[in-house]
Amino acid sequence: MKDEALKVINDVLSKGRKALVEYEAKQVLKAYELPVPDEKLAKTLDEALEYAKELGYPVVLKLMSPQILHKSDAKIIALNIKNEEELKKKWEEIHENAKKYRPDAEILGVLVAPMLKPGREVIIGVTEDPQFGHAIMFGLGGIFVEILKDVTFRIIPIEEKDAWAMIKSIKGYPILAGARGEPPADMKALVDMMLKVSKLVDDLKDYIKEMDLNPVFVYNEGEGAVVVDARIILK
Amino acid sequence: MEMPKIVEELKPFFEPKAVAIIGATNKKGKVGNVIFENFKRNKEQGIFKGNIYPVNPKLDEIEGYKVYKSVKELPDDTDLAVISIPAPFVPATMKDIAEKGIKAVIIITGGFGELGEEGKRLEREIYEIAKANGIRVIGPNCVGVYVPDTGVDTVFLPEEKMDRPKSGPIAFVSQSGAFAAAMLDWAALAGIGIGKMVSYGNKIDVDDADLMDYFIYDDQIKVVTFYIEGVKDGRKFIEAAKRITKVKPVIALKSGRTEYGAKAASSHTGSLAGADVIYDAVFKQTGIIRAEDFEHMFDVAKAFAKCKLPKGDRIGIITDGGGAGVMASDAVAKFGLKMAQLSEETLKFLKENFPPHAVAGNPTDVVGDTDAQRYKIAIEGFVNDPNVDAILVIVLFQVPLLNEMEIIEILSEYAKKSEKPIVAVAMGGKKTEYYAKLLEEKGVPVYPTPERGVRALAGLVQYAKYLKKIEGE
Repeated sequence: MKDEALKVINDVLSKGRKALVEYEAKQVLKAYELPVPDEKLAKTLDEALEYAKELGYPVVLKLMSPQILHKSDAKIIALNIKNEEELKKKWEEIHENAKKYRPDAEILGVLVAPMLKPGREVIIGVTEDPQFGHAIMFGLGGIFVEILKDVTFRIIPIEEKDAWAMIKSIKGYPILAGARGEPPADMKALVDMMLKVSKLVDDLKDYIKEMDLNPVFVYNEGEGAVVVDARIILK
Repeated sequence: MEMPKIVEELKPFFEPKAVAIIGATNKKGKVGNVIFENFKRNKEQGIFKGNIYPVNPKLDEIEGYKVYKSVKELPDDTDLAVISIPAPFVPATMKDIAEKGIKAVIIITGGFGELGEEGKRLEREIYEIAKANGIRVIGPNCVGVYVPDTGVDTVFLPEEKMDRPKSGPIAFVSQSGAFAAAMLDWAALAGIGIGKMVSYGNKIDVDDADLMDYFIYDDQIKVVTFYIEGVKDGRKFIEAAKRITKVKPVIALKSGRTEYGAKAASSHTGSLAGADVIYDAVFKQTGIIRAEDFEHMFDVAKAFAKCKLPKGDRIGIITDGGGAGVMASDAVAKFGLKMAQLSEETLKFLKENFPPHAVAGNPTDVVGDTDAQRYKIAIEGFVNDPNVDAILVIVLFQVPLLNEMEIIEILSEYAKKSEKPIVAVAMGGKKTEYYAKLLEEKGVPVYPTPERGVRALAGLVQYAKYLKKIEGE
């Protein structure tokens, strides 16, 4: 677990970088058995076409560049690509957009990912406090976190009861518990993720400064959850 | 129970055999004079049982007490030194203290780290001497320690300007000296008993975590209150907090709710994590009850000092005024508690014994023509009802047929014998305040508004829930 994650982290550090791109961050998460989509990094268009075929359309393309951390601002994500033709077109488009946004952008490759079915969005994050050390954050995603700041924190390491208390303490909890006839979300999967994040950060506390798993899609009870996008900042 | 080292180490601060007052003077109003006067007064009253040794190179005696020229001359039974000499002279005095073998030092003097680099350097020097010689230090830049039972009183605000509270089961720890002094003065007026007060100022050594560990083993203390500005060693604080909240409740008032670090953060999470939310997290995880303001802190502390812990969060309300009952019910919802559903038996019991115009239910309204016996019926019903976990009794002493002393007796009797916490609310003026004080002296916490009464109960419920949660492990 730790060794695999450290390999990714040391690799990034050796290149003089502090921020892991999504692909690298997800490798670290994967090392701790956090659920990430089945996705691959394509270096060439041919590789991308091959991976898309393996996954089956529709797919998503996300361009990976250490200089561009706000992917949607730079328009380097292409969603819901239905066939090869479209993939070729979008491949060109996101590369052009990257160049426009940051002419000096180094491109590590393009992440070819399955088009995920939408779930309820949550955010799991980590920050480091100068007095108390690392803390984990949980909240509902989207406007709930952006505008209402409906989030809660605990100091790492957390225990299972802490994770449950966090989920239940946010104002938006009824959305997860199942409001207006909706079935409940898979909160057990979220608790499991939070505990894994806690362990990951506890193991790697000398390296990790901040972390966002945002968004995480959580599906109905028994159907799990998945990290859609991730960012890790090193010390 | 095996006592940890910290108990031995901190004991001289609270019950010294002999105290050296370094910087004692006969000049009225000087810090070194007020502290000397405090000890002298307490000695004369038979409260302070130890010896008092003033230290001042320029004096031979102060008010009949022999003055020692230096620390070196001090008798060997000296086990506590209180320092009020200017900051630049403190390191040299610390060296003498180390040589003398005194292991507990309170540095009242200001002008250290709070002023800048030179002060910080002095602090480091003092800390290193302390560390190397096994000396524990409270301060600098503080008012120190107040223990009514042993007569230790280093609070340099003279008694004629600041009242001292009576003893009691509450410990009060404050980073700020001014706040500590103001709170002691206020607690004296409010009749709140403080068993031990510590104000540690710049806390170069003894900190919140040390004090929490000490209070675990202090049988006099039932509840610990903290006024905190900042914590230096977060992990140590968390560990100590977890230890003490297993056995005693802790209430903290944390100031400085401003956001920091938001600009520097590169992640979403970092931008949302101000100091305040992190403290919230720490308090939640360690079972510390966070107070919104000092009234809240002492309201809850008072409830812990006098009440048993509730088994659940279902509140029963008894009132002799409809409006106050509604206010209390609103507060129950506001603080996340539940209104108890009275059992059929209780309702039957109340209806059978009430006149037709009194309202059996929750709230139960004994109405304005009540006497003390009608209250007794209501309380009896609530105490025996398995659906009620805690009871709030609103007593408007102003109603004409209510015998004040009788209702006070009834409440105090039930508070003693019932397994459930009972708190009272008495709204009114001078006369009400008089009876409220009597009621409190009889062991029932009294609050001036329904909201504050319910908020105090919410503190009890929160702690009881935390205990249940950790016992489940």
